[in-house]
Amino acid sequence: MSTIESVQNVQEQIVALLPRLRRFARYLVRNPHDADDVVQIAVERALQRLDQWRSDARLDSWLFKIVRNAWIDEVRARGRRAKIFMPEEAGEQIGETPIEREIDRWSAETALGRLPEDQRLAVSLVLVEGLSYKDAAEVLEVPLGTLTSRLARGREALQAMLRLPEGESS
Amino acid sequence: MTISEETLMAYADGELDAATRASIEAAMQEDPEIAKRVARHRALREAMQGAFSGVLEEPVPERLIAAARGQSSAPKGALVDLAREAARRKTSPRPRRWQPAALAASLALGVGLGFLAWHGPSGLIQPGSGGGLVANAALAEILSSQLSDDRSPARVAVAHLSFRSKSGDYCRTFSLTGSGSGLACREGSDWKIKALAESPRAATNSGNFRTAASEDSPAIRAAVEASIDGEPLDHTGEVAARQAGWAAAKR
Repeated sequence: MSTIESVQNVQEQIVALLPRLRRFARYLVRNPHDADDVVQIAVERALQRLDQWRSDARLDSWLFKIVRNAWIDEVRARGRRAKIFMPEEAGEQIGETPIEREIDRWSAETALGRLPEDQRLAVSLVLVEGLSYKDAAEVLEVPLGTLTSRLARGREALQAMLRLPEGESS
Repeated sequence: MTISEETLMAYADGELDAATRASIEAAMQEDPEIAKRVARHRALREAMQGAFSGVLEEPVPERLIAAARGQSSAPKGALVDLAREAARRKTSPRPRRWQPAALAASLALGVGLGFLAWHGPSGLIQPGSGGGLVANAALAEILSSQLSDDRSPARVAVAHLSFRSKSGDYCRTFSLTGSGSGLACREGSDWKIKALAESPRAATNSGNFRTAASEDSPAIRAAVEASIDGEPLDHTGEVAARQAGWAAAKR
């Protein structure tokens, strides 16, 4: 395959991953438009750094990592802390009426939004995005042990919030 | 047998090697409490799989698809992007070599006769009385009135970004519905066209292209970077410039 063809091939793979990149960005940024901005910046960066992508590595985890770093840079550059995912407000946005809001209160999304960021990202990558512990640790640039302990703490908190039927025994 | 919660979690996540997995499975058989704990981890896994799935169903914005294909630029209305881009370029030269098509489609002013002819029907850009090209009344009206963070539906053109040029004039980037983007500076009572670029997509698919591209092309951004003095105007700056009729500052 020529270089141009392989670049186009990767570009199309990135296009196919866009829905998941957008979802991942929403774990980081509350405002959907801002989340998409972060995705756009990350995708542009990824294209500039295609030579740094090892084709034996998963493209999705490599992109998640770039999305996360783009977000960190954006936060630093813009000082837009106010727009970062705010769990309490996210809870307020869900549901149209007080009753619906109450029903949705402990939905998976809301519960996830209430986790501290470290745990939220670990849970998102492993349980929602289906990454292995190793890949998730690489995305977050932390040791494997750190990832598993964040994941364990995040799960514990979610169990408490969601009160899943199977979890009532203890 | 005591098994840590982290091990059970890793078991539910399919992270254990075969030997450990077998020992957990044996323990689950023996001790219903352990089986219950594993079930909790699995139930949570299932519950979380649906989180944020709504966004997966949404149509992906065109600008992101364009970005993934190397046809993109700064997000519309993100007025600080240019500064960031410039800072980024200082640290890493931008190798845009994977998109020769987009660059080839960029037309410098003066080579833009074909572009002009192609643009004949809309006539948004026309020869000025003092030579060069100027925006016609419709385009000038948009450049003079529309703020960059205006997200209302695209008209024949969309203004993206405003800045003060090194010669003190106010300049704005814009895109034309279905055809490309450009840079115009306010000189006297005219918006003089300083650069034009045909959009890559319009070049290949002009018939089906309905809305104005929401971004500036790399060629236009390069033209902006060559002439900008300081930072792009923010919302307040744009409102003030608009109120002053985009009149050049004397310096």
